[in-house]
Amino acid sequence: MREARNPNPAIAASIAAVAAIAFAGTFWFDPVPPGLPGLGAADFPRLICLVLFGLAALLALTQGQAPSEDDAPRLDGGAWAVFGACALFVPALEILGIWGAIPLYLVIVGRIWGGVSVVTLGLNAAGLTLALWLVFSKIFRLTLPTGWLGAALGG
Amino acid sequence: MEAFLGGLAILIDPYVMLMVLLGTVLGIFVGALPGISGSTTIALLLPMTIAMGPIPAICFLGAIYCAANFGGSITAIMVNAPGDPSASATALEGYKMAEKGQAGLALGMSAISSAIGGIFSIVVLIFAAPLLARAAYSFGPPEYFALALFGLSMCAAIGGDSAVKNLIAAALGLLIATVGMDLTTGIERFAFGIYELSDGIGFVPVLIGLFAVGEMLDQAVRRLGKAEIIHLDAARVPGWAEFRKCNRSIWIGSGIGTFIGALPALGATTAALIGYNETRRWSKHKHEFGKGSIEGVAGPEAANNAAVGGSMVPTLALGIPGSATTAIILAALIVQGVRPGPHLFNEQPTLLYAVFASMLAANLFYLVMGLSMAKLFARISLIPPAILWPAVFVLSIIGAYGPNQSMGDVYVMLAAGVVGFLFRRTGFSPAPLIMGLVLGGMVEETLKQSLIIFGDDVTGFLGRPIALVLFVVTLAGLLWPAVARLLRVARARSASA
Repeated sequence: MREARNPNPAIAASIAAVAAIAFAGTFWFDPVPPGLPGLGAADFPRLICLVLFGLAALLALTQGQAPSEDDAPRLDGGAWAVFGACALFVPALEILGIWGAIPLYLVIVGRIWGGVSVVTLGLNAAGLTLALWLVFSKIFRLTLPTGWLGAALGG
Repeated sequence: MEAFLGGLAILIDPYVMLMVLLGTVLGIFVGALPGISGSTTIALLLPMTIAMGPIPAICFLGAIYCAANFGGSITAIMVNAPGDPSASATALEGYKMAEKGQAGLALGMSAISSAIGGIFSIVVLIFAAPLLARAAYSFGPPEYFALALFGLSMCAAIGGDSAVKNLIAAALGLLIATVGMDLTTGIERFAFGIYELSDGIGFVPVLIGLFAVGEMLDQAVRRLGKAEIIHLDAARVPGWAEFRKCNRSIWIGSGIGTFIGALPALGATTAALIGYNETRRWSKHKHEFGKGSIEGVAGPEAANNAAVGGSMVPTLALGIPGSATTAIILAALIVQGVRPGPHLFNEQPTLLYAVFASMLAANLFYLVMGLSMAKLFARISLIPPAILWPAVFVLSIIGAYGPNQSMGDVYVMLAAGVVGFLFRRTGFSPAPLIMGLVLGGMVEETLKQSLIIFGDDVTGFLGRPIALVLFVVTLAGLLWPAVARLLRVARARSASA
């Protein structure tokens, strides 16, 4: 059972922290050349930060409800594994190139997700990779990352 | 009229027509996939349009927008899982009809009322947008600043679980829009010496991250199985008696949808829900509602498709998005080097009328496809999530990397994806952030210009009647919920005393 607590103060604190960091960041901007009329480069971002502080304070004072299990289900091992696979996609891109990383990702994440056999996932991965290669590399002529492997193979 | 005929003539171009047809098919296809909304589809496909040129690109996106709303109703009726949030009202009666063995009739009525609502709103768009643009000719920077603030204040009602959260998201969007070089002073802001950030944060990776990757990560937590589909032989064209029964609902839905769509920030979902309520209120067969009422399908379907044309009115005439999806279309126009607003009607009338004509064509296309291929489209919802969502992530990576061929954009997209995921878990809607990001440049630019005009004296706004009225309406809209609550408390106290 989840504890029925008001999540708004914690959310408001996070928003206020973002606003505080951004507000502090404006003091590192280069100085505005003298003689320019109107608002300087830092004034508008500071104004937004102040609005964010005000809205965060308002949110902290508002009674909110903790999200239900339907709205925000608990993160289980499978969810973390999918997140991990997504995070590892970029390094895989650098090593295997996009046409190596895509089928690998589709099979691994499909397997974690469950409900579909490895053979179907493999066939889908091969078919989709081929379709994407045709559309993006051959028709749209996009240059996509080839990675170390692609470079080694002369791609 | 000449410009409109010019717009129609552009449709004769086989390439543009092909893009409209492709956009319609993709719109129905993706609209029918539960969890992937029209805005997600457009965000995901936006990078593909960059190489197309402005007219085919906007016709393609406009067709997706029109067709995705209809596509959402197919799965709402067949599997009780609205493919698009705007079809949630349709599911209330449509699925009940399907359970009674009337799925074909519900789909037929959905296709016809959607097309009528969509065409009605485009006719309104053709007449209203130039009038609004003409009125906006007298607008200077102070009026545009007030208008942009009004548009942002309407974000309070855009979704999510509280108005304050929506306004916070909009303010965060404004803050993100300040990243990069300040055009007035040439000073870099929040770039931290990173070269990729000095040009600012691009719309495309943020849009893809917030909508597509955020949704994919959310679905990864749920990892639901595939839906069960109700048997359907074919969609059935409603008979004259059924059409007469729904006549009033269709026109109520069309009127409400067009009006709500034209209000900045309110889109098809709000239109459909209000359209459903008003259809029930004015129906002569109220007892049928909740048990599978055909009027309960016709009203919201007409409303959600009418909202499409309605929401294009402020987007094209003023440059203020009428919904989350039009905020993305606005971003697409900006990426194509087109700045929407009143001057567009003088400078590029052909582009505008080509958009109108392509949306009309898209409505006719999906009417034909909806009636002839509903069974096929309904099967789309059977694609296993284990195949669908990883493919969405892969497309997101290509979409973010493609336009600038920059890994920096991929990182921005992944960061936006995490923000989109956290937003969904904490009751924030990503749409206001997009509105803030798209309008950020305009808000800052017009505020700076206004202050230069007023000699740094903010009271100068008081001397501009249109701006003043817009400020008062904005303030009233923001304060009204609190005032209404105080009045209710006071009334309850005086009643108990």
